[in-house]
Amino acid sequence: MRHRVVETLIAWVVVVTTFGCTTPQPTPDLLAPTDAQMKIRSIQTRSFDVKDRQTAMRGVIAALQDLGFIIERANEPLGLITAARFAEPNFYDIVGISVTIRSETDGRTTIRVNAIYNNKPIEDPKVYQNFFATLERSLFVAKQ
Amino acid sequence: MMPRWSVAASAIVMAMGLMGCVAQTHPQDLFQLQEESPRNRAMQTRVFETKDEAELLSASAAVLQDLGFQIEESVREVGLLRAAKERSAREYGQDISRFGIFVLSTGLIFVQQPPIIIAVDLHQKIAATLVTRPINADATRQEVRVVFYRVVWKGDGSAGNQSIAPGEQRMEMLRDPVMYQTFFAKLSKAVFLEPFAL
Repeated sequence: MRHRVVETLIAWVVVVTTFGCTTPQPTPDLLAPTDAQMKIRSIQTRSFDVKDRQTAMRGVIAALQDLGFIIERANEPLGLITAARFAEPNFYDIVGISVTIRSETDGRTTIRVNAIYNNKPIEDPKVYQNFFATLERSLFVAKQ
Repeated sequence: MMPRWSVAASAIVMAMGLMGCVAQTHPQDLFQLQEESPRNRAMQTRVFETKDEAELLSASAAVLQDLGFQIEESVREVGLLRAAKERSAREYGQDISRFGIFVLSTGLIFVQQPPIIIAVDLHQKIAATLVTRPINADATRQEVRVVFYRVVWKGDGSAGNQSIAPGEQRMEMLRDPVMYQTFFAKLSKAVFLEPFAL
């Protein structure tokens, strides 16, 4: 009788420890877009009535300069701009921003903005609204 | 005994006072135009009556080089230049105030505290981003905007028993109009054109 108890105990221990070895199977929708992702993307993207991508890029650069950002890189063929600044008045935090500019077929230009605050993405829609408001002004001035 | 409302009021005042000690930044403010933005923009921008954007850009690069900058990044298609130079940031005034505060705070020894040594600026990187862009439809007018800024690194110091590690950083846009005027004067000489402000 005593043997039985010990045996079952050992069996249980073996079962429990081997459980940890099995890896969870990835579900088919592991890389599928989630709702949150789609929402962020729509917040970060806006389409403007600008035909020429270069004009749009120059507008973005001017807007970033107005906001006190330092343009780090610009790549015209890819329509990519990277900029950064300290979160003044404190100098421990850094705000980074990368903008992609793509021409659409219908004579419009889509601009997508990703802003990060100390390597953490900014997800507040208000931030992006402010940026696009500045950008709109800058593009409008450029058009005249 | 103090009435209860006055206790609550003073608690709120104290909390507000303490909150003021922490420099809070809200990322949403950073994407908003400040009151001084248009002024800075006017100071940093000049318009040149020329069609040749590439010439304007290369002349700007030459002027930046004359001023001791190294060109770090250039994109002709969007008219962008980024340049930088590194210099010492030592200022006598800061060393004098460091010494003065050290002498004044030697009295702290009587309360068994070491004197205060404030950190002074040691090194700086001055950088410029320059952008040209056509401002009318047939591109006969070009706008040049240059922004100078600097990053300053501080040395070490100590306050009380706490030592301040070196390397603290601070960045600021240079707001001295003379600096921008000098730059544009040199640039206009280089391209044989008279610039005008917006």
